[in-house]
Amino acid sequence: INVCTQRSTRYLSAISAARGLHKSALDVAERPAPEETVTSSFGRFIQSVQPRHLSPTVLQRSKRMVLDSIGVGLLGSTTDVFELALQHCQHMYAPDDVSFVYGRQGVKLSPTLAAFVNGVAAHSMDFDDTWHPATHPSGAVLPALLAISDMFHNDSKPSGLDFLTAFNVGIEIQGWLMRFSNEAHNIPKRFHPPSVVGTMGSAAACARLLSLDRNQCSNALAIAASLAGAPMANAATQSKPLHIGNASRLGLEAALLASRGLEASPLVLDAVPGVAGFSAFYEDYAPNPITSLEEHEHSFLIETQDIAFKRFPAHLGMHWIADAAAVVHKTLAGLKGGSISPNQVQEILLRVPLSKYINRPFPETEHQARHSFQFNACTALLDGEVTVQSFHPEALQRPELLALLSRVRVEHPHDNPANFNIMYGEVEVTLVSGDVLRGRCDTFYGHWRNPLSQESLQKKFRSNAGAVLSNERVERLIEAVEGLDHLDDCKPLLAQLQ
Amino acid sequence: MVLFSIPFNEITESFGAAVSCLSTSHLTDEVIRRSKRMILDTLGVGLLGTSTPVFNTVLQCSQQALENSKVWGRPGLSLPPQYAAFVNGVAVHSMDFDDTWHPATHPSGAVLPAVLALAETLPVKPSGLELLLAFNVGIEVQGRLLRFSKEAHNIPKRFHPPAVVGVMGSAAATAKLLGLPAAQSIAALAIACSSAGAPMANAATQTKPLHMGNAARGGLEATRLALLSLEGNTQILDLESGFGAFYPDYVPHPLAEVTPTSHYRWVLEDQNIAQKRFPAHLGMHWVADAAIEARAKFLDKCPNADLSQIKKITLRVPTSRYVDCPLPVSEHQARHSFQFNCCTALLDGEVTIETFSKSHMNRSALKEMLLKVQLENPQDNHSSFEKMYCEIAVETTQGEMFTARCNTFYGHWRKPLSHEDLVRKFRANASTVLSAEVVEGIIYTVDHLDTNQDCSMLWSYMHFNKHMMHRDECRSSQCNASLLNRSTFE
Repeated sequence: INVCTQRSTRYLSAISAARGLHKSALDVAERPAPEETVTSSFGRFIQSVQPRHLSPTVLQRSKRMVLDSIGVGLLGSTTDVFELALQHCQHMYAPDDVSFVYGRQGVKLSPTLAAFVNGVAAHSMDFDDTWHPATHPSGAVLPALLAISDMFHNDSKPSGLDFLTAFNVGIEIQGWLMRFSNEAHNIPKRFHPPSVVGTMGSAAACARLLSLDRNQCSNALAIAASLAGAPMANAATQSKPLHIGNASRLGLEAALLASRGLEASPLVLDAVPGVAGFSAFYEDYAPNPITSLEEHEHSFLIETQDIAFKRFPAHLGMHWIADAAAVVHKTLAGLKGGSISPNQVQEILLRVPLSKYINRPFPETEHQARHSFQFNACTALLDGEVTVQSFHPEALQRPELLALLSRVRVEHPHDNPANFNIMYGEVEVTLVSGDVLRGRCDTFYGHWRNPLSQESLQKKFRSNAGAVLSNERVERLIEAVEGLDHLDDCKPLLAQLQ
Repeated sequence: MVLFSIPFNEITESFGAAVSCLSTSHLTDEVIRRSKRMILDTLGVGLLGTSTPVFNTVLQCSQQALENSKVWGRPGLSLPPQYAAFVNGVAVHSMDFDDTWHPATHPSGAVLPAVLALAETLPVKPSGLELLLAFNVGIEVQGRLLRFSKEAHNIPKRFHPPAVVGVMGSAAATAKLLGLPAAQSIAALAIACSSAGAPMANAATQTKPLHMGNAARGGLEATRLALLSLEGNTQILDLESGFGAFYPDYVPHPLAEVTPTSHYRWVLEDQNIAQKRFPAHLGMHWVADAAIEARAKFLDKCPNADLSQIKKITLRVPTSRYVDCPLPVSEHQARHSFQFNCCTALLDGEVTIETFSKSHMNRSALKEMLLKVQLENPQDNHSSFEKMYCEIAVETTQGEMFTARCNTFYGHWRKPLSHEDLVRKFRANASTVLSAEVVEGIIYTVDHLDTNQDCSMLWSYMHFNKHMMHRDECRSSQCNASLLNRSTFE
């Protein structure tokens, strides 16, 4: 938007103020301005999208995301970092403690703090979903929506479809924002995407569930922008899960503040030269307005770009290398009949994309191990797979594993870019005998090109949720999510989590 | 300067070490003097800010938790310390009246609310000197971090500095107050870094004050998380993907080693701070001073002149998009408008708190004059608070031209407010909310901060409001006169 248009808008406002016109009269009902700003188009979209805009594919995919996210959150409630965050929030005991906490029956927190701890749980083990362009969209959105749902009076809980609409708005906004930057299409280097777009997605989703008007929706996004952005350096540390927790919480806060009338920049998503808005987080930011729902059929991004669900709790890049190493393990086991011994191995070569924060030869903590090509390759080589247990302290320190780790070399082929849509993983093991075994993975099982079957997804959920809930509750949750779009109100879902 | 290769990993470590090793013995007289001025000014500005809509909004939002630390200007109301730090931080920046430093940021508002909120919750209250130490650690860390980037030396374009360095300062200050060991101080900084950064676009909006509130809150929260053993990246300040994410030209250096007996050179020692005379963006102060001078010349020549005789006003200012606002609509925009502050100064001969009220903003004479302003951005007028100037040229219908130039406004670090004027500003601000005795009580307490063993009076004083009854007071029949005595026993 050019400076002149900006000035004339303010000029008009000034004149109207001089004439004593009420501001809302100037907003002139729903007539869209010829040059609508990107920011206001987002606000308008959030406010006007309805359940009927959700296609069957979108419904199906988003329900899968909801199921996986809850499971991952429940499992995550068993981690140290979660316990820490929970204690922290309980010290800030809130009278309006109405929202549930994953895996802590009877414990309640205020909605924002519940969103925070549950968000931390969701990302605590890096087990949550990943999208393209890269981010973890559901963990930032779902905890906030669930927390708000607890806020509603028992008689006026949102319907399952309203809930799903709000959820999808939160995912959609994230997808739209990431498409404003080419840089965002690659594995991130500067800002951790969930802390950038996740906060915005949470704000959008909450604004939707709270039925804010379009100005309030725009303001929610703008307020959220001032709460976005955490540097990559804290990935692979214990603080990383807080990025999602904070995205969820702060997006919710932004929506609540907007509902109370707080205003922020009306051009936060537009590219205004000399004053950075959301563009502050990208080197190459080129935004477009979201098309009006009145004029066009809206196609949700999740429809054409599916999501990846992880099979084990580690950075997405690990899944390629684990599957490639598993191939070698199978061959080796077949050759030698049974277990693998490091003594058989002379050298292990990994061909992976160049990405500093997931290249760790000797990880010391579980967080580092989840972000280590080398660790995941060697684990899969030894065990044939990577599981939740692979990151337990005893597993991290296994002598056989350490022996293998010391034999690893890493290469970064030019044709292997740091991009979740294009990358591959290759493992080449040279045995002492001279044999060379190779394994390659272009698309791991669980990637959006080869999505988990419904059975596999439910199996993952049962395993995760079952760590903290009774079998009965686990099955009821599966049922509730499966039938979410048919629920008159989402009480059946919330009841199993309380 | 000796160049030597700095081993990777030393910078963050050096920060952690400095934060934990600096002690009261390192505070110099000058640093004490300057920081007391900063504290006084910030308190006054904060009290005044408790009367703003944005403060009321965030207070409502935060009110849902159990009390711990006092909210300024709201007798009887307390919040968990992070939220108290949040709302009080919002108050401080709510009218853009708080201090400004070079390189550009508003350092005190991010640190003081957090330090006071935290101090109040400690079982053993810190002495005034310990409070001053924590405060200065928070300021110092901000100053050091800003010097790691050349871009930071200019008026910001991308990230709002208080949101970037302010949260780090708050983390450092609160870590210091708790006496955390170096490793935990580093963790606090790392955690805080993940809360840093807000884009400039929200400047000149109602959300801007939240940048300050969130900086204070985020730093305090980070410290509390570090205390609970949360860890982040131990090299957070060394990495481009760490704190470096906020700058395109990030070149960090380790802090000098601190021993119990060494002399420490504080940034505040070499680089003083600017304190504002009226509640608007710092750039407006050059404009106001130049306009006031031009007006004086005009009236001098034509004593009965009518200001509507002005035909054209040319302002020569540095390029800075977010304070170029020809026709501001909200008070927030007005505080960030070269044009508005220029015209007000020409009309009234001054810019004051009242200037940004609706009635003042809506004056037709003002609006007419706004249409006559033209901005120019000369090449030699750098977008930096250290180098910029403002030149004004007023042309009348009679064809006369009056010009004036301001290089250094009164209140800038090169020409700091006198002690009397700083205290006068404080009195004017604080007395909108506090009675005269309480106002004098705060002045006295801050003045003697470095010699006072018990400074808990400070947050007690901040807890008054002459327009409101203490919540508990409503139930009793006691009158206002006894309020002062009551607080002593709280």
